[in-house]
Amino acid sequence: MVRADPLPIVLVVVEDSDDDFDTVREAVEKVNLRAEVWRAETGGEGLALLQKAVPGRPALVLMDLNTPGYDGRRALTSIKTDRVLRLVPVVVFSGSADPRDVGYCYEQGANAYHVKSVRYPDYLSTLTDLISYWLGRVTLATATP
Amino acid sequence: MSTSTVIADAVPPPWADGPYSVKRHGVSITNCDSEPVQTPGCVQGHGALLVLAQSSLTILQASENSDAVLGRAATDLLGRPVAEILGKEGAAHLADFVAREPIHHNPLHVLTLPARADLTQPLDVSVHAVDGVVILEFEATGHGTGEEPDYFSLIKRTIARLQRVATTTELFAIATDEVRELTGIDRAMVYRFHADGHGEVIAESRRADLPSWKGFHYPAEDIPLPAREVFKRTWLRPVPDVSAPLAELVPLARPDTGGPLQMTWCMLRGPSVMYTEYLRNMGVTASLTMAIRRGEELWGLIACHHYAGPKHVPHPVRAACELVAQIVSIELRGTEEREHLAYRLKMEGVHNDLVMQAAQEGGLAAMMDGRPELLDGLHASGAALFHRERWWKSGRTPTDAQLDALANWLATRPEFERLTRPVYVTDSLARDYPPGAEFAEIASGLLAFSLSISRRSLLLWFRPETIQTVHWGGNPHDMPTVMGPHGPRLTPRTSFELFKESVRQRSLPWLPVEVDAAVRLRMLVLELVVGRAERLAELNADLARSNDELDAFAYVVSHDLKEPLRGIYKYAHQMIEELPALQDEQRRKLDRLVRLSVRMDGLLDSLLHYSRVGRTTLALEEVDLNEIVREAMEMVDSRVTDQRTLVVPRRLPAILCDRARCREIFTNLFSNALKYNESVNKTIEVGALVPGHPARPVGAPAEASGETIYYVRDNGIGIDPSHFEQVFKMFKRLHGRDEYGGGTGAGLPIVKRLVERHGGQIWPDSALGAGTTMYFTLSAREVGP
Repeated sequence: MVRADPLPIVLVVVEDSDDDFDTVREAVEKVNLRAEVWRAETGGEGLALLQKAVPGRPALVLMDLNTPGYDGRRALTSIKTDRVLRLVPVVVFSGSADPRDVGYCYEQGANAYHVKSVRYPDYLSTLTDLISYWLGRVTLATATP
Repeated sequence: MSTSTVIADAVPPPWADGPYSVKRHGVSITNCDSEPVQTPGCVQGHGALLVLAQSSLTILQASENSDAVLGRAATDLLGRPVAEILGKEGAAHLADFVAREPIHHNPLHVLTLPARADLTQPLDVSVHAVDGVVILEFEATGHGTGEEPDYFSLIKRTIARLQRVATTTELFAIATDEVRELTGIDRAMVYRFHADGHGEVIAESRRADLPSWKGFHYPAEDIPLPAREVFKRTWLRPVPDVSAPLAELVPLARPDTGGPLQMTWCMLRGPSVMYTEYLRNMGVTASLTMAIRRGEELWGLIACHHYAGPKHVPHPVRAACELVAQIVSIELRGTEEREHLAYRLKMEGVHNDLVMQAAQEGGLAAMMDGRPELLDGLHASGAALFHRERWWKSGRTPTDAQLDALANWLATRPEFERLTRPVYVTDSLARDYPPGAEFAEIASGLLAFSLSISRRSLLLWFRPETIQTVHWGGNPHDMPTVMGPHGPRLTPRTSFELFKESVRQRSLPWLPVEVDAAVRLRMLVLELVVGRAERLAELNADLARSNDELDAFAYVVSHDLKEPLRGIYKYAHQMIEELPALQDEQRRKLDRLVRLSVRMDGLLDSLLHYSRVGRTTLALEEVDLNEIVREAMEMVDSRVTDQRTLVVPRRLPAILCDRARCREIFTNLFSNALKYNESVNKTIEVGALVPGHPARPVGAPAEASGETIYYVRDNGIGIDPSHFEQVFKMFKRLHGRDEYGGGTGAGLPIVKRLVERHGGQIWPDSALGAGTTMYFTLSAREVGP
């Protein structure tokens, strides 16, 4: 099948902190990818964005865990138990280094877990690395097996 | 005097071929408990007795002294009408009296025979009926006609005084005084039977020159069972002359039945030779005895002794004495109940105060050394409390070692399993518990209860062996004795020796009211203990809840604080990067801002970690400490490049713990040992000291006593002992924040928390410049979260 004029891929960012979201945007700019960045402030919003997107377009979810309301943990679980959405890689990006959080997320099917560093340069480089890796190098699934 | 009835049954008594006569057979008696005292076949020689056929009132039997007392030989009287003694008028009066009055088993004064030609003195005649015959008893009135005292007024006064008493002591004091005054006898005593049958003189009125017997105890054998039986049926027993000859009945057997005459209710009944001999051996010349009964039970006696020759108590005075005995018996119950009530109230008052004291001071031991103390309540000579793994004693008690053994034995007693009154009570501990013989002198009596199902708390009261506390009436050191005509067999000395055996290792018994008070005290203490346990549990639950909340709060707060912190760092960083023309001063401040953010981030991480240690459940497993120590050493910051040596003098044990958290304890301690260390060769020694090991530290907390103590020792800079408490406080640093490689000051607080989560304790031993040893225990059980 030939894809005519493909739409740019989508990076869904679940992040309630504006400062942290800014850093994500800076990282995306730095990587210089043709990608749309969709922001959700809660896990619930993030899940809704994924559900209304054209299947295959969202290429990566960057998920903060401690969002207000329907939080990142629940959103992660919902995504990974959805037959279609579970193909989208979810990378958790959290301030928590609690081993229980880490364990929980991998158990729920998170594709990676990163701890936000207070040191900005470290934080930024981690983001650029993971965006270029997941959106540039990894081959993503386009159909359910 | 043997009480064996087996022998008495096996060997036929000497009178087996005819009725018993105390005059003929009494001397051969060796067994008081088999003597037929109610059918002695004889009367006391000072009076005469006639047995009449109930229908015809003709004489069937007469005492052999009839000639002396009545002026007619006994053999002359047999088969004759009673009118020949009483006269026509008297006989008619008797017939009328017998028909109308309640004379069955009840001697009543029927008439007085005036002195006449054949009678040297006036005679009182009393009558009662028994087994189909009428018995007449003749005794001298003891006075001439017309000079009788006003007995009625005397008795009225006596009764009024007896009914006003408040205590039994008062009751008996008045009774003995009144009896002595009424009779003019030398000594009147109240003699009380104890539960084991032995007797005690508890009240006495005596001629001034006589020694007091009050407080003396007498063996049970001194008043044999047959005599006690008589006193359950009659109120009064006079023996006006213990030396008077006995006069046998003629004929000895009843002619109508061929059997012995039932003489239980005869005032003239011939006494046992044993009894008169016993009295004579004490110098007594006459006696008068009355029964004190409580319901059906013979409670005691009013015993009167006279020393100055025969003592005849006239009929009306005897009636008055009998009345005194009956009133004392009636009043006794009420007065005793009042006294028990007073005693119970006193004990309860003391026990309530004790429990209050224990509640205020927060420990049961307060019952033993405060005011009041345990011995102020229940009458006992010693008390012991086992509580918090030690004995608290008061008064005279066995030694700790003896108490330990006793407690172990008590733990097996079924009494403690009972739902109601779970109390062990004995007045002869050595009988149940043979090792108790060792301390029978001070603790023959034991009243004990346990305060907990596990029986780790016991309360005991002790009473000494009776023989240690009382004056023995028969004790040869207390009383002179006179040898009787039949040798020493009936002297108090003999019975004392026998008796000493019977009360060996026995205490005075515990009263029901005392056992009740102990049971009630147990309830009070249990309420107190349960109440305290409940309050403690509530406080612990509150504390656990608030600890949990605090941990949760610390977690959320530190987490949430991280977000703005990242922002602060980021913008400071970006300003440094993006503003090329920054002055040095501005750059320095922004650098400082960045560094402070990093530092705060470190603090938040420590706080998160600390709260996490409190919140997570331990995963207990068997872990080899040698592995843990090796792993911990590998994990310690490898940037420390100096030479380091780990010494493990003895192989460490395998223990039950949470592997990761236990390793964290060691990594933290190792890290400190290397960090605060300026030696060229940094040495760490790790060891385990089992209980009893000679190298165990002397300053260990009491809780560590049964536990293995672990230690991590270094040759570092040491800690000033004044800072020992500080080092375990969160974020407390003893050194500048950039000295010794920095750090947040959370390492030791986290270690302390990890140790405590394992049910252990941690404490340092150190001095500045002398290295540091961190001691800690790790109880196998999990505590918390």
